[in-house]
Amino acid sequence: MRDIFFDLSVRSVRLNFLRSLLASIGIVIGVVAISSMGMLGTNMQLSVKDQLSSNVNTVILTSDVVKVSSTAGGVAAQNGIDKSELNDIKSSAGQNDVVPIHRSSTQFTVGSTNGRGSIYGLDPNDIQKFLTVDQGTNIKGGNDALVGATLASNLNIGVGSTLKIGQNCATIVRPIVRVAGILQARGIASDNVNADNGIIVSDQWYTDHFGNKDVYDQVNVILQDVDTINQTEANIDRKVNRNTNVIRISDASSRLGTITSTLGTITTFIMAIGGISLVVAAVSIFNVMMMSVKERVQEIGILLSIGTEKGEVRRMFLYEALILGLIGALVGGLMSFIIGYTVVQAMIGSTAYFFRPESLIYIPYGMIIGVVVCVVSGLYPAWMASNMDPIDALRSE
Amino acid sequence: METVPLIQLVDASKIYHLESGDFIALDHVSLEIGENDFVAIMGPSGSGKSTMMNQLGILDVPTTGQLLIDGQDVAKMSNLERTHLRRDAIGYIFQKFYLIPLLSAYENVEYPLILKYKKRDTTGRAAAMLDAVGIDQDMGAHRPNQLSGGQQQRVAIARALVNDPKILLCDEPTGNLDRKTGLQIMDILVDLHHKGKTVIIVTHDPKIAEYAKRIITLEDGRVVGS
Repeated sequence: MRDIFFDLSVRSVRLNFLRSLLASIGIVIGVVAISSMGMLGTNMQLSVKDQLSSNVNTVILTSDVVKVSSTAGGVAAQNGIDKSELNDIKSSAGQNDVVPIHRSSTQFTVGSTNGRGSIYGLDPNDIQKFLTVDQGTNIKGGNDALVGATLASNLNIGVGSTLKIGQNCATIVRPIVRVAGILQARGIASDNVNADNGIIVSDQWYTDHFGNKDVYDQVNVILQDVDTINQTEANIDRKVNRNTNVIRISDASSRLGTITSTLGTITTFIMAIGGISLVVAAVSIFNVMMMSVKERVQEIGILLSIGTEKGEVRRMFLYEALILGLIGALVGGLMSFIIGYTVVQAMIGSTAYFFRPESLIYIPYGMIIGVVVCVVSGLYPAWMASNMDPIDALRSE
Repeated sequence: METVPLIQLVDASKIYHLESGDFIALDHVSLEIGENDFVAIMGPSGSGKSTMMNQLGILDVPTTGQLLIDGQDVAKMSNLERTHLRRDAIGYIFQKFYLIPLLSAYENVEYPLILKYKKRDTTGRAAAMLDAVGIDQDMGAHRPNQLSGGQQQRVAIARALVNDPKILLCDEPTGNLDRKTGLQIMDILVDLHHKGKTVIIVTHDPKIAEYAKRIITLEDGRVVGS
């Protein structure tokens, strides 16, 4: 059986239905503003984080130790990670993908056009772990190569084209690779593999022509969860740099952190703007509650004179504020879902992150804030009602 | 052993501090009302009847002097204790009925039971009390504004009696009723007095006062006849 004070509050709300409804609309608007803005901000953060994560979920390992090797272009000195160090990296990287990379700069010729760019030697099985073949296929044969989107576009390279690799010299026969596929453009890559202007060949082909077998210019560890970056780096550092600091470990997470933090601040700011509407709603609820108290002075006098405790009178008015808050919060929550979805779709162009818990959590957040604002707005009117003098209250008309 | 009077006013005064100066509404009043007494308080307008009523109903405390209920000094009680005493020991019947407009007649009678026992009435006491004052179940479902004045006053009497108080305080109980209905209400009050209740009526109507065993007359805040 329900509390009679709750019943009285429900009946009072019903009796003044239109006024209560209008007051609740203020809460609805406030809840929608806070929830929608929160969801919009979070969706922006998630979207940006995911876009950047394609670049920054990678730990880049390079070595400062200089190694000398013979290359297609002659003798070169370069830094490298050897096989033993690679094994240490693999054993400390856990379940994450470890991609050893050979890299050099080379001249090449397409038809009669000469060019210069980076050439990467990769295990063909590793390529699709972080690169996407847009046209053609991945490297299959020993002389197959992949070409970056920008390079292919600039030099009009297509699938099946052939490239001569190495310095153009009349006395040397240069190795030829056949373009098996064109890579999808990836923009600025913070994993140090700028494939858009590069040529990708198999590690076998690379070491056959550039040397440095089992010595890698760079090893990338592609993380499954970007949030484990610090832990993974620490694990690798403990293992590979246990004696001397030979492997340099870097990532772009700090940049992601800055961007995420900035977006978080923007989200908080726009939520605060949404919160202003809740302040307006709070004033409206306060006004409605004061009107309710003023209109029911005699009733309060009756209640107090026949033995109702002050706390019970307070409870009755707080229930009324709570009912207004709950109605506003429930309707606001429902509308936040619809309006939030629409706003996210319109502003971000995708609702891929909308149903994530960290996005939807703003609906209950907004609802709770709405209810709390209502109850807080009702505190003073409830206190005023409970502290009335029953004699004066009974006399009022 | 000496019997303690149910209600005792000892040299009680009530002074209102107004901008125009102090107004003495009750001036050194001393009186005793015993159990099962039937008292009418009379006097012209401004004589202090309402102030006296508020004192006896523990809605207010004297500025000086004492009000003792069952030997307990109400001025020494906490606000909550006074509230509980009002709830348990006193039944109020007002001229304007003062039913709670948002509750049905039945709920109005049930309300003091809820205040006392902190739960809805499952004993049937509220319904029985309504029945005793001539309000049937159908009528009990109506809101106060759907009832006649006489019916509302019956509901108010049922509400006043439902917690079985020792004292019934009636402020012009027939003032808003026609003569016939007023007489019916007075018959109920007389009956309640015969059943052991202490009935105190504030009235300016001598015919109503005739029902009482004792008449206290006030003038300018003083008792001039008892």
